[in-house]
Amino acid sequence: MTPRTLRITIGALVVVLGLLIIGAVTWVTQAADGPKQPIEFMHTVHVEQNDIDCVFCHRNVETGAEATIPAIEQCMMCHQIVNNENPKVTNPLHQAEIAKLVAHWENKEPIDWVRVHVMPDHVRFVHAAHIKAGFDCATCHGDVGSMERVKQVRSLNMGDCVACHRENNAPTDCTICHR
Amino acid sequence: MKQAAEGTEQDTSKPVASIGRRWGMVVDLDRCTGCQACVVACHAENNIALNLEDVVLQQRAINWIRIERYWEGEYPNVKARFLPMFCQHCNNAPCEPVCPVYATYHNQEGLNVQVYNRCIGTRYCANNCPYHARFFNFWERDLDDTHREYLNPEVTVRTKGIMEKCTFCVQRIRRSEWERRQADEELQEGDVQPACVQACPTDTLVFGNLEDENSRVAQLAENKRHYRVMENLGTDTNVIYLKKVDPHASETAPAHAGTAADSGGNSA
Repeated sequence: MTPRTLRITIGALVVVLGLLIIGAVTWVTQAADGPKQPIEFMHTVHVEQNDIDCVFCHRNVETGAEATIPAIEQCMMCHQIVNNENPKVTNPLHQAEIAKLVAHWENKEPIDWVRVHVMPDHVRFVHAAHIKAGFDCATCHGDVGSMERVKQVRSLNMGDCVACHRENNAPTDCTICHR
Repeated sequence: MKQAAEGTEQDTSKPVASIGRRWGMVVDLDRCTGCQACVVACHAENNIALNLEDVVLQQRAINWIRIERYWEGEYPNVKARFLPMFCQHCNNAPCEPVCPVYATYHNQEGLNVQVYNRCIGTRYCANNCPYHARFFNFWERDLDDTHREYLNPEVTVRTKGIMEKCTFCVQRIRRSEWERRQADEELQEGDVQPACVQACPTDTLVFGNLEDENSRVAQLAENKRHYRVMENLGTDTNVIYLKKVDPHASETAPAHAGTAADSGGNSA
């Protein structure tokens, strides 16, 4: 092997290894953090610091199948006052993210939130029924209030669902979830 | 040991232990006009693929409910008769024991359930169904964004290679169940209506709990005109048809023009 080919081989190896490491690091941090959202919405600020109830924003959770992500109108209920120019918002990160929200509102553009909990198409989950049975949101979603970026904490695969249904004497007929 | 003993003593006349609910339907053929509203409603409710011409010509069209037309009488006195045919939700279903992966089974509410995510597409069930109520997906759905907007979000879009059939609109049963539960109530008579029943303009189709003696469907099932399609097969269906046998069917029109109209439904 000539010194030239040796250098090229080593160079190529370094590049490949580097890419692999970068890939692995992003994969691990993504998995640990959940997907990046168009706006860095912080549950820590809303839930932990300001003590807002889940149902205040996820309004449909007690009455419907979907918990629902609030419309921008609902964000703006508060953020018209608590906007990026409000003197009480001192954190520059918060200012920047609220500015994004206000921009969406002013341009009348919806926010394309990235779905965190993805179920296969042949599964139907009804939030209302589970809330009615007395479960806390955190049973499945974990302590969202302490998450800077929401991530999935439970596997939520069929074994997970069925095990919980059995523990709680809930029906396990296939048609309960698969229709 | 105790459990095993109980298991041997269970009532073997019924395939599955009942929970006081057995969904069934009564189809009053003397009322059916063959308008196909049930077919349209079923297609819309259950995300059934469009049956284009080439699909129909290949005899691969999917219709969870169809109107079978047949003729009664002899020319020139021929009468068109209609018979809605769909999954009969047999209590002794021929489709169930042949499935190698338990993708079709009988649940405690008397429904013959098809579990799409279990199905591997052997098609044994369809071959064994005497009612031609099961349909195989030969193609993947080609849905653009516009067509996705038409879909019923409560019903799975079936993929290529699996079997599908009438579910008695189980999504509606489940929805009524949890909506009642929200108010701490039990499911009541009349809560659940499959799409075909809802669409039927002549009240031909009646749906309900056959185990509840007071339900309309159970009372109609006791009607003198009742029969089950291919009863001799012993499938013990949960769908009961009502039909007055017309003794004058082959007579000429003028001879019985009056009698057919005023003989009423129950005098067969």
